Amino acid sequence: MYEWSEEHEMIRAAMKDFIAKEIIPIRDDLEHGDLPPYDVLRKMYKTFGIGEQAEASFRKRIEHEKAVAAGTANDTDKPSRHAGGDAGLTLIPTIELCRQCPGLITALGVSSGLTASAISGKGTIAQKQRWVPDLLTLRTIGAWAITEPNSGSDAFGSMLATARRDGDEYILTGNKTFITNGPYADTIVFICKLDEGNDPKQRKVLSFVLDSGMPGLTQSKPLRKMGMHSSPTGELFLDDVRVGMDRLIGEDENPPKGGRDGAKATFQQERAGVAAMALGIIEQCLELSVAYSKERVQFGQPIGEFQLIQQKLAMMEVARMNIQNLVFRTIELSNDGKTMTFAEASAMKLYSAQQATACALEAVQLHGGNGYMAEYHVEQLARDAKVLQIYAGTDEIQTRAIARSLLAD
Amino acid sequence: MNVTVCVKQIPDPALPGELDPSTNTLKRDGKLILDESDSYGVEMALQLVGAAGGGEVGIISMAPNGEVSGMRTALAMGAAKGVLVSDPELSGSDALTTAKVLAAAAQKLGHADLIIAGTESSDGYTGTVPEQIAEVLGLPSVTFAKSVVVDGDTIKVNRQSENGYDEVVCSLPAVISVTAGVVEPRYPSFKGIMAAKSKPVDTVTAADLGITPVGWGGAFQQITGIEQAPARQAGEIVEDDGEAHLKIVAFLENLKVI
Ligand SMILES: Cc1cc2nc3c(=O)[nH]c(=O)nc-3n(C[C@H](O)[C@H](O)[C@H](O)COP(=O)(O)OP(=O)(O)OC[C@H]3O[C@@H](n4cnc5c(N)ncnc54)[C@H](O)[C@@H]3O)c2cc1C
Repeated sequence: MYEWSEEHEMIRAAMKDFIAKEIIPIRDDLEHGDLPPYDVLRKMYKTFGIGEQAEASFRKRIEHEKAVAAGTANDTDKPSRHAGGDAGLTLIPTIELCRQCPGLITALGVSSGLTASAISGKGTIAQKQRWVPDLLTLRTIGAWAITEPNSGSDAFGSMLATARRDGDEYILTGNKTFITNGPYADTIVFICKLDEGNDPKQRKVLSFVLDSGMPGLTQSKPLRKMGMHSSPTGELFLDDVRVGMDRLIGEDENPPKGGRDGAKATFQQERAGVAAMALGIIEQCLELSVAYSKERVQFGQPIGEFQLIQQKLAMMEVARMNIQNLVFRTIELSNDGKTMTFAEASAMKLYSAQQATACALEAVQLHGGNGYMAEYHVEQLARDAKVLQIYAGTDEIQTRAIARSLLAD
Repeated sequence: MNVTVCVKQIPDPALPGELDPSTNTLKRDGKLILDESDSYGVEMALQLVGAAGGGEVGIISMAPNGEVSGMRTALAMGAAKGVLVSDPELSGSDALTTAKVLAAAAQKLGHADLIIAGTESSDGYTGTVPEQIAEVLGLPSVTFAKSVVVDGDTIKVNRQSENGYDEVVCSLPAVISVTAGVVEPRYPSFKGIMAAKSKPVDTVTAADLGITPVGWGGAFQQITGIEQAPARQAGEIVEDDGEAHLKIVAFLENLKVI
């Protein structure tokens, strides 16, 4: 794949139209007024039949899994995730929404992406049916909670949240922070360690599904933050929340690799999504910067005539081309049913996030004082872009993953 | 119920258009899109077929260079199939030739209980094609439809008039033209977009439809000259001395808008 297809461009045109009519008019409320993003996202899902399509393809896959379990089908001929389409179907909305409000994609990606995948990846058939269709259609909003006040990059090592056995139930305790959709989530994947009185480093990692309103579960108000204002971020407090085995993902206390690979699959998925987000941010910064370079006159000429401004534009264009090619590669791989290696996904995430921030800051610079004013959109994009270097694994953690893979024997 | 919609594919109005100085017509060699004024007809057709509980929406279009981009939008919205008439011989066609071509295309597409067109295209504005199609096909025609209800083998149409609307009952099959804004055209769903490419569009020439002579040779109408639209005049400024509202009312009355 070296360019977007005709269908991709049709989706883009329809998305642009929807964004102009439904999102731009409320952008101020989303970005500066604490308006939760879910209603407009639901409207988008409904308008384009996104949820309906995701649900239909989910049902096909579940039928297949049931047939495999019953021994009437072969596990190798799994129905595709992208029934009737391709991975570009979801990436175009990601890119287009990130041009305007990257927070919308953060909120959406965590809900119908990460949370749903965490359950559909490792859950039992019954668990998938119970939670996934509602998440895929945004009937419910999901959150995925691993980070704690004292456990971020070292997500597994310093994790304090625990599950204790109590008869055939578990009692969950712990605090989670920086949780996207935390304040409003209906369905929460809570990751913790099974406390059997053993050394915390040796403990198994388990994931549970919680519903909001369960006794002992408190969801905080949105935290104030630098950017991504259209994505609510909050804390979760669990004070002896009692759950049955039916809420333990996989209903298995001994998941492969001590439960760490479920969360790792989630990290990988996040990393691929960040490239498309970065592409949207850079495309928008570039478009606004090119227009401003032609329009803004100083020293009697448009600033685009100055070589130092041209250099900024060229640097943004190089980043845009590179990241677009990476996005094309993710689409190709996904259409072929393949995934990137962990190290490659890390490299892509590292590069895309750094470039998104660099380009957005250059776009602010190119706009001068106007670029620092909230009235100019690059101001918001620069604040939003920064978090791409922090969440889904910091730059430093990506760097470590790449180097480790190079140095591995 | 089967409904056929005439859809014009026009140069994107968001881009600066250009006139061909030798023919005084709009250049149409780039990518074309679905004329927004026809998206209302497509939506109305989809709603009527939906309400009837069966049948399909077909589309017909006449456009240069085998262009189907605009038709794809209508197919993505839910139309089932189309006929495109594309033929260099048709370049320079006047409204009547266009109507003859579209009438033949409608017949080629298959039987329709209703043919819908926009009141006028956004790039040509002759506003005569729908009635001419009706005449060519020998069908009744109702113009300026703002709402349509099917009732057995008739339709009840509310027809926009200068000071309200007329209630018209018309037998089917018929040709109607719908005014812009009467329905909210749906966005194509992603599934619809992915399916659009595999929906059948039959591309034919004027000769295939048995229509001659065509184009400049067949035109009874000619564009003899084009002029710049007059520059906008400076507006009148009304100082509010307590009586300004009367002046505004008089101004609007003079324009016959109230
Ligand atoms: C807006 C937002 C939304 C988020 N959403 C979610 C969510 O939905 N769910 C969730 O679970 N979490 C979420 N997070 C948390 C996010 O994943 C963590 O913030 C991130 O992993 C970093 O952890 P930390 O904040 O504890 O930083 P720390 O790990 O304390 O890092 C501090 C600094 O030290 C560096 N560092 C750490 N370890 C090393 C090392 N080994 N080598 C070199 N440098 C190192 C880091 O790179 C960083 O620069 C979100 C965060 C934000 C800001």
